[in-house]
Amino acid sequence: MGMMWLVAAWLVVLPAREVHAGPAPQPHFLAFGVLPLQSPTKLAGMFMPLVEGIQKALGQPVEFVTAPSFATFMKRVMARRYDFVYLNPLLFRRAEKAGYHAVAKVAREPFTGILVVRRDSPLHSLNPATLPKGLRIGFPDPNAYAATVMTTQYMKKLGIDVHREFSIKYFGSQNSAIMAVYAGLVDVAGTWWPSLRSMPPDVQKSLRVIAETPPQPQMAIAVRSGMAPERVRKLTHYLTSLTHSASGRRILQHLGFKHGFAAADDGEYAKVGQ
Amino acid sequence: MNTVVESASETLPVVHARRRDGLLGRFASLRFRLILSVALVHAVLMGTFVWEAVRDQSADIRAQLVSRGHELVTLMAVASTNALLAEDLGSLGEVTDRVKRQPGVVYGDIVDIRGDVLASSAPARVGHRETRALNVKDRFPLKPGDHVLDLSRPIVVAGRRVGTVLLGLSTRSMDTALEKTRDAGLLFILMALVVGSVAAWALSMIVTRNLHILISAVRRIAKGDLDVRVNVNSRDEVGILAQAFNGMVASLQRTSRQISREHEKRTEAERLACVGELAASIAHEIRNPLAAVVNAVPLLDSDKLDPEDHAEALNIINTESRRLQRILEDFLRFSRMREPQPVAGDLGALLEEVCQLFSHDPAVSRQVRVRCHVPAGPCRASYDPDLLRQVLWNLLLNAIQAMPTGGTVDVSAEAADDQVRVTIADSGTGIPHDIIDKVMRPFFTRRGDGTGLGLAIVQRILMQHGSKLSIDSEPGRGTRVTFQLPAG
Repeated sequence: MGMMWLVAAWLVVLPAREVHAGPAPQPHFLAFGVLPLQSPTKLAGMFMPLVEGIQKALGQPVEFVTAPSFATFMKRVMARRYDFVYLNPLLFRRAEKAGYHAVAKVAREPFTGILVVRRDSPLHSLNPATLPKGLRIGFPDPNAYAATVMTTQYMKKLGIDVHREFSIKYFGSQNSAIMAVYAGLVDVAGTWWPSLRSMPPDVQKSLRVIAETPPQPQMAIAVRSGMAPERVRKLTHYLTSLTHSASGRRILQHLGFKHGFAAADDGEYAKVGQ
Repeated sequence: MNTVVESASETLPVVHARRRDGLLGRFASLRFRLILSVALVHAVLMGTFVWEAVRDQSADIRAQLVSRGHELVTLMAVASTNALLAEDLGSLGEVTDRVKRQPGVVYGDIVDIRGDVLASSAPARVGHRETRALNVKDRFPLKPGDHVLDLSRPIVVAGRRVGTVLLGLSTRSMDTALEKTRDAGLLFILMALVVGSVAAWALSMIVTRNLHILISAVRRIAKGDLDVRVNVNSRDEVGILAQAFNGMVASLQRTSRQISREHEKRTEAERLACVGELAASIAHEIRNPLAAVVNAVPLLDSDKLDPEDHAEALNIINTESRRLQRILEDFLRFSRMREPQPVAGDLGALLEEVCQLFSHDPAVSRQVRVRCHVPAGPCRASYDPDLLRQVLWNLLLNAIQAMPTGGTVDVSAEAADDQVRVTIADSGTGIPHDIIDKVMRPFFTRRGDGTGLGLAIVQRILMQHGSKLSIDSEPGRGTRVTFQLPAG
């Protein structure tokens, strides 16, 4: 008899316990860190559809995160704040030291740096002999691999010492550097194709590419060590199969990557920076 | 069928308006009603206006606060989007710091998609999970005691929410403004009440002043002063009423004077007719005995008259002469009746005394039984003893004479309220219906030996005592006469 009373009391209390159980636990967000190549809003506009797709593919919420600067981004990478990251080959080499491994890269598109001027600029090529003195050049960030490092190294091979021949300004992001040359704040800007293609058509038409660097291994997507292999496999599969579906192609259109992603490994980036 | 003769005054139908006296009557006055009505109208109209104004202003102020809140929270969202995406906590902190410096801001938080507070106007909350609802109701009314309007704005990039901005705005200044407006409104209502009351009082004074003049005039008319006129020169309804009133009083005065003149004429005519009738009655009354005396006197000088006839003639002369004397004495008594001198006395004792006199008269007691019914104790009344004794004597004599073959006379007195009622009822022949209204006229008699002044004298004495005689008679069964005297 006493047991029956206990069972009855438990049945009465059970709904109340459920009611007062409090909010459901917050799901764990996977942090997708994206190198601040553009302004955060623009970058988010490019990557948010991809984030949505990854979220669906992995069945887990994914948070898009960038950083105020390359340096801050890399500090967080080195602190393993992000579950997976999108970054340039040079920075990937540093990220490797923090335990990140490349799983994908931008497919088939040469990873080059370009130098752009206004269409009405007198500059048409980079000839050290005819290069006017006192030119102003703009870069996104000292660590922007294609836009800064590769173009600087390219001009060095041509015999142009950027630090001596140019007055250098850093504008924080690719689109800021492009807008700087468009607005006449600088005479030349270092950037890369995806960023130039993401600019409004009027801006693109007003600019002209005067030089492009030799290609290097493409931008990488790397995952933090310790991520479950199955999750890594799903992520890689999703990224490399984007071109197979209309929805995937729309995502790539937002990113500005015509050919999507291809599988990659750490070895492809071994010679970067040497 | 009984016949009742009573000199009752004519009763006219009078419609009495309900009158309220005292304090209630003052509240029911036209002036008070006017003041109350105007004051109430002022208060209601002003109250409605103020209520509407306060409501509108309240809605405006609230809408402004909500609009300002939306602007601020939108600006916060825009200003913090890049920093939120870049997890630039320093920039986010600057945003919340600047927002906090805005007037009326209670708090401002920026929360990421996970619900963690990345920046807050209260630095202690940074890094903690936001416990408040992210989708707050930024609408009025707030809960009782809640003086913070909570607003939220999701930070959306490329159609995806990446964070939320929370903002709290204090409603204290708004509440204070509304309280001031409400207090001002109440003050306006009070002022409207006072101004309305004063205006109504002034208006009522103007309106009712002339009415009060009319009321005073009516009261003077009620006291008989028909010379009164009201001097109201206004052209409003009261002025028209005053003119009509003056016309009515003038007409009433003319009618009254005409009635007085007619009354005087009629009185004079009646007086002359009465004198003529009286003279004719006297002439009629004294003509027969005088003729008998005149005819008998010459017989005394005749030698041919035998002693028996001589004695008869002398007897006739004596009898008729005494009759003439009695007629003249009664007439003189009737015409020279003195003013009564009422004193308080025991009316029962007087009744018993008169009844006893008749009972001890052998001529009466042989055929008529006189019974007296008076209360056991003193039955006090105010009367002139000599005059009332004559009244009782005449009435008892009439009753006894109405019973030639015998009968019973019942004399009674009873006190009722502040009156003493005296009743004399006989079982005699009664009075025919056709003459019952004439029996109190002077010299009206159905008996050959009567002067016809008995009941006239009775009625006159009773009238002098403020009373009157009531006769209830049924032929063949008897007569009942009644009068009342004030209790002594």
